[in-house]
Amino acid sequence: MSALNNKSPYVIDDQKISFTFDGKKYFGFKGDTIASALLRNNIRLIGRSFKYHRPRGIYTCGIEEPNALVQIPSEYNDPNIRATVKQIYEGMVVESQNRWPSLKNDIGSINNLFSPLFSAGFYYKTFMGPKGFWKKVYEPLIRKTAGLGKPPKKFKSKSIHFYHNVDIVIVGAGLSGLLAAKKLVDTEHDVLLIEQDNFLGGILKNTKKIKTINGQKVNEWLKKTETLIKNSKNINVLKNTTVTTYNFSNHLVALEDKSVGNLQEKNKPELVLHKIRTKHAILANGHIERFISFRNNDLPGVMLAASFEKYIHRYGVIPDNSPVIFTNNSSTFSLVKSLIDLGCKPQAYVDAREKKQIEKKTLDLLDTHNIPAYIKSEIEGCDGKNKVEEVSVRAKKNNITKIKTSMLCVSGGLNPDIHLFTQSRGLIKWDSTQLVFKPNSSFQNTITLGSVSGNFSYKKTSEEVNKKLNFLEETKNLEVKLDINDFEKFNIKELWETKHAKKSLWSKSFADLQNDVTTRDLKQAVLEGFDRIEHLKRFTTNSMGTDQGKISSVNSLGIVSKILKKNISEVGTTIYRPPYTPVSFSAIAGRSTYKFYDPERKTPIHPWHVNNNAVFEDVGQWKRPWYFKKHDGETMYEAVQRESKQVRRTAGILDGTTLGKIEIKGKDALTFMNLVYTNDFSKTKPMSGKYALMLGEDGMVKDDGIVCKINDQHFIATTTTGGAMNVLSHMEEYAQTEWPNLNVYMNSVTEQFATFNISGPKSRIILSRVFSDIDFSNEKFPFMTFNKFNYLETEIRILRASFTGEIGYEVYVPPKYALALWEKIFYYSKDFDLVPYGTETMHLLRAEKGYIIVGQDTDGTVTPIDLNLNWMIGKNKKDFIGKRSLIRSDIVKENRKQLVGILPLNKSENIEEGQHIIESETLSTPIRKPVKMLGHITSSYYSPTLDHCVAMALIKEGRKLIGGKAFVSTPNLKTIPVQIVKPAFVDPKNEKLLS
Amino acid sequence: MTKLFSTEGMDVVQKDLQQVILRGKGDEQFAQVINKEISLLPPSDNLRVVNNDEFIFAKQSFDQWCLISLKEQSHKDILKLVSIINANEEMLASDYSYGQVYFEITGNNKNYYLNKLTHFDFRPKKFPVLTMAQTLVARIDCSIYHLQDKYVISCNSSFEDYFKDRFLDTISL
Amino acid sequence: MLLINCPYCGERDQSEFSNGGEAHVARPKNPELVSDREWSEYVFIRANPKGIFYERWVHTHGCKKWFNAVRNTSTDEILKIYKLGEEPPTLKDFKNTPKTPSGEPKVGSGNFAVKKL
Repeated sequence: MSALNNKSPYVIDDQKISFTFDGKKYFGFKGDTIASALLRNNIRLIGRSFKYHRPRGIYTCGIEEPNALVQIPSEYNDPNIRATVKQIYEGMVVESQNRWPSLKNDIGSINNLFSPLFSAGFYYKTFMGPKGFWKKVYEPLIRKTAGLGKPPKKFKSKSIHFYHNVDIVIVGAGLSGLLAAKKLVDTEHDVLLIEQDNFLGGILKNTKKIKTINGQKVNEWLKKTETLIKNSKNINVLKNTTVTTYNFSNHLVALEDKSVGNLQEKNKPELVLHKIRTKHAILANGHIERFISFRNNDLPGVMLAASFEKYIHRYGVIPDNSPVIFTNNSSTFSLVKSLIDLGCKPQAYVDAREKKQIEKKTLDLLDTHNIPAYIKSEIEGCDGKNKVEEVSVRAKKNNITKIKTSMLCVSGGLNPDIHLFTQSRGLIKWDSTQLVFKPNSSFQNTITLGSVSGNFSYKKTSEEVNKKLNFLEETKNLEVKLDINDFEKFNIKELWETKHAKKSLWSKSFADLQNDVTTRDLKQAVLEGFDRIEHLKRFTTNSMGTDQGKISSVNSLGIVSKILKKNISEVGTTIYRPPYTPVSFSAIAGRSTYKFYDPERKTPIHPWHVNNNAVFEDVGQWKRPWYFKKHDGETMYEAVQRESKQVRRTAGILDGTTLGKIEIKGKDALTFMNLVYTNDFSKTKPMSGKYALMLGEDGMVKDDGIVCKINDQHFIATTTTGGAMNVLSHMEEYAQTEWPNLNVYMNSVTEQFATFNISGPKSRIILSRVFSDIDFSNEKFPFMTFNKFNYLETEIRILRASFTGEIGYEVYVPPKYALALWEKIFYYSKDFDLVPYGTETMHLLRAEKGYIIVGQDTDGTVTPIDLNLNWMIGKNKKDFIGKRSLIRSDIVKENRKQLVGILPLNKSENIEEGQHIIESETLSTPIRKPVKMLGHITSSYYSPTLDHCVAMALIKEGRKLIGGKAFVSTPNLKTIPVQIVKPAFVDPKNEKLLS
Repeated sequence: MTKLFSTEGMDVVQKDLQQVILRGKGDEQFAQVINKEISLLPPSDNLRVVNNDEFIFAKQSFDQWCLISLKEQSHKDILKLVSIINANEEMLASDYSYGQVYFEITGNNKNYYLNKLTHFDFRPKKFPVLTMAQTLVARIDCSIYHLQDKYVISCNSSFEDYFKDRFLDTISL
Repeated sequence: MLLINCPYCGERDQSEFSNGGEAHVARPKNPELVSDREWSEYVFIRANPKGIFYERWVHTHGCKKWFNAVRNTSTDEILKIYKLGEEPPTLKDFKNTPKTPSGEPKVGSGNFAVKKL
């Protein structure tokens, strides 16, 4: 009745490993999983179920485990770890989940008592009222009790991505997968062989079903084959890697655990997410056994038969020396034989089939060793306190025999593991002889080999491998002779569930173990009208756990098909969704975390900004100085007020490198520019610039900038920082797709120049000192003109333009010379208190002039006419992008929002961006009717020059309302009386700008 | 030239090179204008790279070429070349001399490390010698030139720090 | 993650491209002569069929060139890629069916993976 040790080449039994489970110390061996180690120590109780808090044990020996989920409270604190997969390391701390105060005495088991209330659809039907209870009572409670494990408090994990480009991927290194790999050794195909265990072999190492291959002992053959593959030129192997997703097209994602059997190292990746592009995918990922539903089929001590067998051979532990075996097919023959070969005897053998369906070699074995055999019988249920203590065998209608045992091995059939195949959008079909869903036709370049294709006979393996892979070039036929020690005829009998002996609200057979879905729930769901499988799944939450019902969902379909009296193929399956096994968010994020979250862009002046206490803001991917802190205690508000004042007093300099610059040239450049912008550049003088607007085809402002015309065939345009890529894409789209007949080219030159925006009354004299041989006088260097100048061994361009309303210049210098020139400018401006300023001050200064910022005062629904910029539209242009839309009825209608200036009547009041403009002073409390909104504040700042707040707004029929009054509503229902004015506050006649 | 990283099977060196981006029809006249200035004919097959001691000259798509100068020239000389080419109304030359950074990657394990940064298919049968490709590396737009036994990867200089940090991170993890 | 065969750069991951919507939607030659309705249809309205669809792609993180593709929107298969200005393939070059690989499912059948025998 207890566990025994067996020798396995995959577990190092002279390397003891200690670990704790729920505070108690245990020993296992190197290579043990938590499950195999616990079984070695006769630990059967491992967790409590999700809804009913029923005691649960280890059900399987693989990734399909529904019950044995544990928490590992290291600094990574991973929840819901499958104990059947995770290998132990020295000092590992393991805790069971979902129980309080302890696993043995869990207060949640009271749910089991109230279980008739928690039937299917419980979540949808309860928690409906009273009003207000959801937020205050139900949700906090549900959040606390939901889930199984506890999530980590902080994200510490490091994982990486790895990309593969290959010709063939082989998923699964079992018998078929290894034969396929052998066939491809040293051919021209680049092959990737992926195995989820840390040893190759699959069924060859998990069982003794194959004795020899081509005369060699299996272990030897495995060693030789692995060496052959390792030494080949064209095959790479990934171990501890599970393929989780099969995308379109022929793109697979696989998850590799880098710390198998070891504590996670700090500077090594925890997980690798492999992204694989291939020409062909060979799925040789095998099958998964399914269970049978009977009363209390969830008690610790019930285990799948093939899993028991895997514990014996793969992990070297015999979980119980005399289990009862319950089956409806011939696959358990090898389990019986394995036990007998090790000197153990099954307590009983229960087979649902007729004698004539059972193979002779099985019957002989049972007979020879005096194993009680119950033919044409089934398990009615099992009983015990927190574990299996006795099982009830039903031979005829009510003839029940009780057998004392501590373990029950169940085999309800073998499911080809079709998850990946259906993810690839291949079609499956129901095989009514083997009672399986198996692949029918591929949608992508997918080949299935071995048991996943529904081939359960090892005899046919090599024929299948040869036949299906012969289309690949350079491959030859493999000669494979297998000495098989397994069943010959599967002979499965349809059995999804057994009936309870007594009717009771509390007796349960489970259809899904992880989500505590009983067979009664399935029946109830159908009764309530959920007879379509996709609805039924969601109503009952059947197969929605982390195991996706791998051992149980087909049974549920079988049960439902019987209720509906339909063929199982008519009922169909639900869609298997990726990932196949749980994937940590760490793996999905890869290195795109914390400082690598998004690529960062810096200007050549960046080091200077850092040294001068710039506080940065992200503009797209760029790091731009937001403001500069003069001293540690200076607040942002203080800094911006100081910077703004200084610019208008003497001069300020802004790093404008991030704004886009595009060089446009060609025979038809002028025609193109006239089509892409609202302006008419034909009358523009060479070597001068124009403030230009770009619209979308819908007539809305898309971007703005300054277009410098060198000549009719050569332009350089600037764009906003955020719009640079979009403007270039927009130009390329039209040039390539709409007007390919125009000879014009455009190149981005954003990175080829650093841009310094220097403005203020003293800017002229500062630049004259820096560039002593350039004449910056108003006569020789008029507003909106530019020129090229020699500078050291290079050339610079200077444009006279300003976004601040003061005299200003834009200096364009190649990056190599940029930082030195910036510092030189500061050197020559020592007498003038030149202030470096950031984006916030820039926003403030332009607002004082009423200049718009695209994206701030516009939002994609604003036309140039709304912005009072009609003068920028070339009247004589027949066509440009957006022109036709400007006369659409929606654009010419009366009450469109128009740009205006807003000033508070009381100069001490402050207006905020985003506040609404309304007609009435008072608002009723509480507000019962919608308040008419005239518009909203788009920009607002406290002007240090004028000593009061200035704001811009978009208001319905704004231009008509200029001179009038309105109110701005604030969050606390107080309203601020305001004047509607023209949007120009400082130097409205632009006298300073043009001086 | 600065040695950046050296690890098992890969060495990365950063170089300061100069570049000009050329746009044009790629016809006889286009070739003549260029050949006259640098004594080198522009490659005519798409993605083809011509490589000698002085230049890497590559065709990036049907109307775009990049000319990379391997030997440092005075900026004035390059700007003169740009201006001569721009005298032709059907061509555009943009100076790209100081807005890009260049990394030269050698070693027989270089593909292993690069495969952690990009999905690009580096297999020789897909990316032969003396060809180039424009793709994403470490989420940044890059050009990769496959020269004999090495790759030269270039990207915008604003990404320099991020790119180097990502590379270092890839090697260390 | 589609694999798209850029006519200039070769086969690349979908992540390098941006989709450009329906292809062959001609901008009216004389916008000033069309009605508001016709103009709005050009600016705002695009087809969205289930099945064979002619669309545009641009190789944003590569050569930045635009090209056309014929894609079956229900299976995502790209059936043909052709350059701008090339003659677009005709519908009879493809099996013009909107069916998904499993065939058109019956309304409410919830059965997408299993074909009825």
